[in-house]
Amino acid sequence: MRGVVWYIERDFLRWVRGRVAVFSALVMPAAWLIFVGLALPIRFTDNYLDFITPGILVMTMLSAGLSGGTLLMFDKILGFLNKFLALPAPREDILFGKILFVSLRGLIQATIILVIAVLIGASVYSPLQYGLTYLILFLFGVLLSAFATTLALYLEDHDSFAAVNTMISMPLFFTSSALMPYSVMPGWLRVIAMANPLSYAIDAIRAVNAGALPVAQVASLMILGIVVTAVSVQVFRRVTV
Amino acid sequence: MNAIETHDLTRYYGDLCAVNHLTLSVDREVFALLGPNGSGKTTTVLMLTTMLRPTEGTATVCGHDTVRDGEQVRRSLSYVPQDMAVDIKLTGRENALLFARLYGVAAPKDRVDELLAVMQLYDRADELVKVYSGGMRRRLELVQALVHEPEVLFLDEPTLGLDVAARATIWEHITALKKGGMTIFVTTHYMDEADRFCDRVGIISKGALLALGSPPDLKARLGNDVITAHIDGTFRDPGINGITLFAFANDEASFLAENGREALPVLADAFTRAGIKVRSLALREPTLDDVFLHTVGTPDEPTGFDQTKFRTMLRRRR
Repeated sequence: MRGVVWYIERDFLRWVRGRVAVFSALVMPAAWLIFVGLALPIRFTDNYLDFITPGILVMTMLSAGLSGGTLLMFDKILGFLNKFLALPAPREDILFGKILFVSLRGLIQATIILVIAVLIGASVYSPLQYGLTYLILFLFGVLLSAFATTLALYLEDHDSFAAVNTMISMPLFFTSSALMPYSVMPGWLRVIAMANPLSYAIDAIRAVNAGALPVAQVASLMILGIVVTAVSVQVFRRVTV
Repeated sequence: MNAIETHDLTRYYGDLCAVNHLTLSVDREVFALLGPNGSGKTTTVLMLTTMLRPTEGTATVCGHDTVRDGEQVRRSLSYVPQDMAVDIKLTGRENALLFARLYGVAAPKDRVDELLAVMQLYDRADELVKVYSGGMRRRLELVQALVHEPEVLFLDEPTLGLDVAARATIWEHITALKKGGMTIFVTTHYMDEADRFCDRVGIISKGALLALGSPPDLKARLGNDVITAHIDGTFRDPGINGITLFAFANDEASFLAENGREALPVLADAFTRAGIKVRSLALREPTLDDVFLHTVGTPDEPTGFDQTKFRTMLRRRR
């Protein structure tokens, strides 16, 4: 398992030396927070910013998690993956390295979004509530990054991964409970939103903020995460080029 | 036990047979697999390095089966693919350290320093790889590959895209490694390099091994003298007994003859009689290039660019 640390170190060094990429990933969630969170005239709540912040945090994790696939795709195209696969170190280390790196990177990005939210007027919660929020975001990040990384292993080129990426990220976000509560959704959307794993994470964070303990959602995220990761480990062990 | 043994190693991609019943043993030598693009060289290397499962047949590296004992096989070898994959945003030392740590080398820092010195990269080890030249990047990949002292080293096109000086340096290092007892398996399509630096070569075309032996042996087997004729305009084989045409490309026809000195005037006469304009005639010893062309035929694209078919197609379009 020690290989995981070195894979993470490699990706981390590449990330912080990329400079532009460190900030570019934050632009979209920050824009949503400011231009939608502050500007949209909403009647179902007096503080829409508080309502939308969990959604934006999860959105940040969503794009962070999917970026695990992009990273693996480039490793594959540039020939790094072949070199890593030819190493005696367990191949699932590559997967765990990507999962942990993009999930932790997602948490760093989510922290910045959270700070911006508080600066523009979102409520401040207790350290325990933030701790639980981070746990939920992390579980969600693991689920997404395991899925995206394994998917990238099977797709031919970067274009097809980028296509799949866009194809799933936007619909997932809009069909979740990120932007509006279930009560104001049309019936058909409510059905989809309740099945959407994004909503599990968003609802869980809202419950934490309201002072509840979202056992059901956290358990579902955890089980989903474990299943997807277990399948991915098997795929990585057996992969051939 | 030989370092590399394959027995009827075969790989199909769908209907396409990429490697066809390859039987080979390689041990403590520099062995080159030569072949045109798409002939199955890389597929063979991928199977030997456990990255690809053979459709049929077996292969062992240091006595370990590549399918059943993948991890043991990967422990005894290093593989440098042709893509030149080093992280440009990391320094040379960081790139090398990553591999030393992934291999679980004891005292990784010392080992990396030692190898960086051997590969003449020590002075620039702390610069980002972004500023490294192609030759330096290749040497850095050798450092990565050598950190765990592998018994077998696989190099896929090690000198592709490098300048003459950088190539010579890479081959110097390869030769030194062989003297240290390592088995080195390279693929290349630079015949002159294979001729000079490899102990044995195998010529592979369309997945099948067509010739195997040391470069001097293979050239001796071709036996005869080679005559090359530079042709102006259209060309057809004058068809003289004992002077066989074995390759024609870029207006240059190559013939094999028992006695080159006697064949030269005969050939010149035949050309004149046939009305073929010859710009120059040359007599020389066979090279590995000739062996290759004689074995494989005039190289064509792997998809089989069929000139007659192409012409028919053009005619139909008119």
